[in-house]
Amino acid sequence: MMRVRRAYDGALALALAVSVLLFIVPQFFFVRQSFFESLGMGMMGDELTLANYRTILTDSFYIAVFLRTIAISAVAALVALIIAYPTAYWLSRMNSPALRWLIILLLVSSFVSIVVKVLGLTMLLGSQGPFVAFLQFVTFGLWNGSLLHNELAVAIGLVQYSLPLLIMLLFGVVQTIPKSLEEAASVHGASDWRLVRRILLPLSLNGIVTAGLIAFNMNMGAFTSAVLLGGGNVLTVPVVIQQKIILEVDYPVASALSVLLTVAVMAINLVVVAVRRGGFAGARQRRKIA
Amino acid sequence: MRNRSSRILILTAAALAYAFLLGPLLIVVGASFDGGSQPFFRFPPEEVSLRWYLSIPAKYWSALGLSFMVAAAAAALATLLGSLAALGIARSSVPGKALLETYFRFPLQVPFVVTGIVFLQFYHILADASGIDLVGTTWGLLVAHTFFCIPYSVGAVGSVITHDLEKAENAARIAGATEWRVLRRITIPALKPGLFSGFFFAFITSFGDVPVSVFLAGSGTTPLPVEIFQTLQFDYDPTVLSISTLVVLISTAFVIAMQRVAGLDIVLPGSRR
Repeated sequence: MMRVRRAYDGALALALAVSVLLFIVPQFFFVRQSFFESLGMGMMGDELTLANYRTILTDSFYIAVFLRTIAISAVAALVALIIAYPTAYWLSRMNSPALRWLIILLLVSSFVSIVVKVLGLTMLLGSQGPFVAFLQFVTFGLWNGSLLHNELAVAIGLVQYSLPLLIMLLFGVVQTIPKSLEEAASVHGASDWRLVRRILLPLSLNGIVTAGLIAFNMNMGAFTSAVLLGGGNVLTVPVVIQQKIILEVDYPVASALSVLLTVAVMAINLVVVAVRRGGFAGARQRRKIA
Repeated sequence: MRNRSSRILILTAAALAYAFLLGPLLIVVGASFDGGSQPFFRFPPEEVSLRWYLSIPAKYWSALGLSFMVAAAAAALATLLGSLAALGIARSSVPGKALLETYFRFPLQVPFVVTGIVFLQFYHILADASGIDLVGTTWGLLVAHTFFCIPYSVGAVGSVITHDLEKAENAARIAGATEWRVLRRITIPALKPGLFSGFFFAFITSFGDVPVSVFLAGSGTTPLPVEIFQTLQFDYDPTVLSISTLVVLISTAFVIAMQRVAGLDIVLPGSRR
């Protein structure tokens, strides 16, 4: 037994060694770089400074970029959750061989790269697509705007990006809620709405919050849909980071932006988890008092 | 749900979800058979033809091959490292297991764009220090992809290491099995679902990746999604529709093959009725 345990220690040590090389070392150099002044043309100063962070945090342009990214990501995650939950419920309560094909379609959709989906969305939302034609028809040709290259298009792309994964995650969550619970509640006269509010939502809240945060995190780092569907009009943090690297070769500011993006994502996750815990404890407290 | 209207509401949401997910793919597939050169879908098509299939440029084919190779290699490497990590976390004598689990999930907490730039800059530093430049090489892509693939298999393999498995292993040991035999006959078969699903999700993520690869690719080492991304961003070309259609078909074939070989239950527990 001792020998076996030592073998597992060795496995962990090997995995840790490789992961330190992949996770820690590159990140260290990256974060370090954000503390040096950019001299332009890819050159860097040699004194440690907080100048890049000061620039970003005091510039209303960058603040707006961050707020825009957070807002679009949150709205898209919320919309995706609202569509995904009933779909996951429908799939997990389905008792038919069609389920297999519906799951296959879901996996295919999650398999196909986001660029291909964005290509499809561009055609659907584009000036020759059915939605623009419809809007022009119902407004008698008065509306001649565009559905592309704005915040809405980016948000639609983000929902497209996270939806398959969300449905799969919530499918797993709803499956853990026994159907008999719903039946028991129905037999005792609970309405469907009450069933959702008192059984389904409380029992899947953990999963909903986790899935929602995963979608939000994906959205915050989403690059492909922001670039292609935003068409340069919607500046989110990933888009600005890419511009700093490719167009301005300003690595220090790009690093500082990346560090702030990662910190913002982690902080928002921590706050959501803390609020939920607090909210739960509070609710329990209130119920006890009542 | 017993109420008719709530059933209809649920069905509507589900139908909407599927239409929304499959619509863009179907449009791409449909438009790829239109011989006209406009970048949009018409119905009925101007002329049905395979014109854009016959003129798919060679760079797309080699990009497709590269994407496949990198995804398979990164997913395999990550599955190996991830299962070592998962087994190690569950069974070594090291304290702080929760912390280790969080640590191994770290790559998915980092936005993908950031991962791309982190590795780009790291490769620059490496090149300055050692003369080996990984930017624009297949190896460079492989290393960065392995980075973000590892968490998938740590999670998937970790979830199938159970207390029952340990009991089964001990029973085999008591019955006189050698450690090697225990590993081969008990442990690995029990881990198989986790190995499969970790590999699957890692493969998907790597195969479709743009934000990491876009910074690391060079001429001749551009994965297909980045190639498509650049076509869409800079110069539209209708052959992008036909190669995208092939991606949709390959993905479908891959998923169906996996369902036949391993079963859907492995990727999505509870999906077999």
